[in-house]
Amino acid sequence: MQIYLPIAELSVNIFLLLGLGAGVGFLSGMFGVGGGFLMTPLLIFIGVPPAVAVSTEANQIVASSASGALAHWRRRTLDPKMGLLLLAGGSAGSIFGVQLFTFLRGLGQIDLIISLCYVGFLGTIGGLMMYESARTIMRSRQPEARREGGMGTRKKRGWIDTLPFKMRFPRSGLYISVIPPIAIGFFVGTLAAIMGVGGGFVMVPAMIYILRMPTNVVVGTSLFQILFVTALTTFLQATQNQTVDIVLAMLLTVGGVIGAQFGARAGRHVKAEELRALLAAMVLAVCLKLGWDLVVTPSDMFEVLPVGMEGE
Amino acid sequence: MLLAALFALVLQQPITSEAPSIMGALTQETVEIREDFAGTELVLYGATRGLTIQDEIVVVLRGPEQDLRVMRKTRSFGIWINGSAREFQAVPRYYAIASSRPLEEIANEAALVRNRIGLDHLLTRPGETPVAEMLEYRKAVERAGAREALYASAPRGVEVLDGGLFRATLALPPSTPVGNYTAEVYLFRDGRPVASRSTSLRVEKAGLERLIYEFAHGLPMVYGLFCVALAMLAGWAGAAIFARR
Repeated sequence: MQIYLPIAELSVNIFLLLGLGAGVGFLSGMFGVGGGFLMTPLLIFIGVPPAVAVSTEANQIVASSASGALAHWRRRTLDPKMGLLLLAGGSAGSIFGVQLFTFLRGLGQIDLIISLCYVGFLGTIGGLMMYESARTIMRSRQPEARREGGMGTRKKRGWIDTLPFKMRFPRSGLYISVIPPIAIGFFVGTLAAIMGVGGGFVMVPAMIYILRMPTNVVVGTSLFQILFVTALTTFLQATQNQTVDIVLAMLLTVGGVIGAQFGARAGRHVKAEELRALLAAMVLAVCLKLGWDLVVTPSDMFEVLPVGMEGE
Repeated sequence: MLLAALFALVLQQPITSEAPSIMGALTQETVEIREDFAGTELVLYGATRGLTIQDEIVVVLRGPEQDLRVMRKTRSFGIWINGSAREFQAVPRYYAIASSRPLEEIANEAALVRNRIGLDHLLTRPGETPVAEMLEYRKAVERAGAREALYASAPRGVEVLDGGLFRATLALPPSTPVGNYTAEVYLFRDGRPVASRSTSLRVEKAGLERLIYEFAHGLPMVYGLFCVALAMLAGWAGAAIFARR
């Protein structure tokens, strides 16, 4: 059954969209990631204009992070103070990102920038995760091997502590400068606007390794920030570029909500390190596909773009 | 047999002496894009007066115009990026042409250029001499249009019926843009158009499609807030439904 998407101006099979939503939702439920990094490229592959894909995916992430953030809020595994700081940075980043997006679209380079961002980030994060999980799996298979005291370095405080404007974060048990959270938030907000991702895959490692937040509040706080930053991005893209397709977003959401529930159940039967290795493999696969498309000789050496779409 | 044909020709003679004329009408005056729109077909019916066997008919359906920028991909640091650009003004987003015989047999290049008929002459301004380099960019526009079936040509798509009547079928693909269209019918004699007529067609979004599109473009702020609110509600509802199980 075909459905015509009012903003994307495209006729797509409704079950394909529900299926995509469910498939990505399953994976995101299983791995605890937003899934934006998979969905946005997939939407572009099926012919949704990149600008619409990015904005609409931000809207879908609002839905998928809302339920998670709510659950963490109830369980109090969320640092609201840290969340608000990240959000302050994230909002500025989102505003900046949407401007940047509009500017790059005008130059005719938005597709390239989106692809390059994906290849860069997915490659780095996927590579690091693969390395980490491979090491953990190896170690667990050789229980006698020496466990080197990685924990010792925890005590050593780095450059983060030399920064001014320190603040206390009782829920996280931290006393650190407000600059790194705002900077991280800004960076992730910009990514959200340009790449159509929540940015959890950047923020969670940053919170653990840079801010050194306790892991029990990391996911909740990250979801809290993602929820509001993607909400703002959706609003800004809708106002500035009119690129949010609500029909597309809702179809993906319906599939996604259902898929995520089954994914979360399936995830319980797989070991954490193996899950992480699988996720890393998936991230790397998307990265390779996008990277390959950048390198391989295009079938048409010309690209035809409309001029002055914003001016309409 | 030959005699009969000649006789018929002679009989027709008085009719052809009056000024030739042509007219056409589409089966629909508006095409509505609704939720289930997946492309459609239009039939153009037409009638001619004074049609002789040497005459040919050309039908053109032309969509709303937009400016295009065509960028040539160049390789740098191993990746392909959009390089040098050329701009084209007022290019139809949809262009379908059908004729009773292949265009090049109907008219010479000059006549087609003058009347801007045919895909090849879509992007040529009158009085402009195309440069070889520009030609490549033009071809790219034609390819891009053809890929989405927005540009189409049917060299024998006009079916000439008895009594000076004719018919052509034009396909509107799923990606048909909304806007004002014009359908033109031409009667060619000796390589020159001797009569032409145009009618208009409107392609518009209807029903829910129209509602959403107008909401998004007319009240973008409210639409943005609505999208966010709906997404939050959906996320919450999803969690609530599955939590109860």
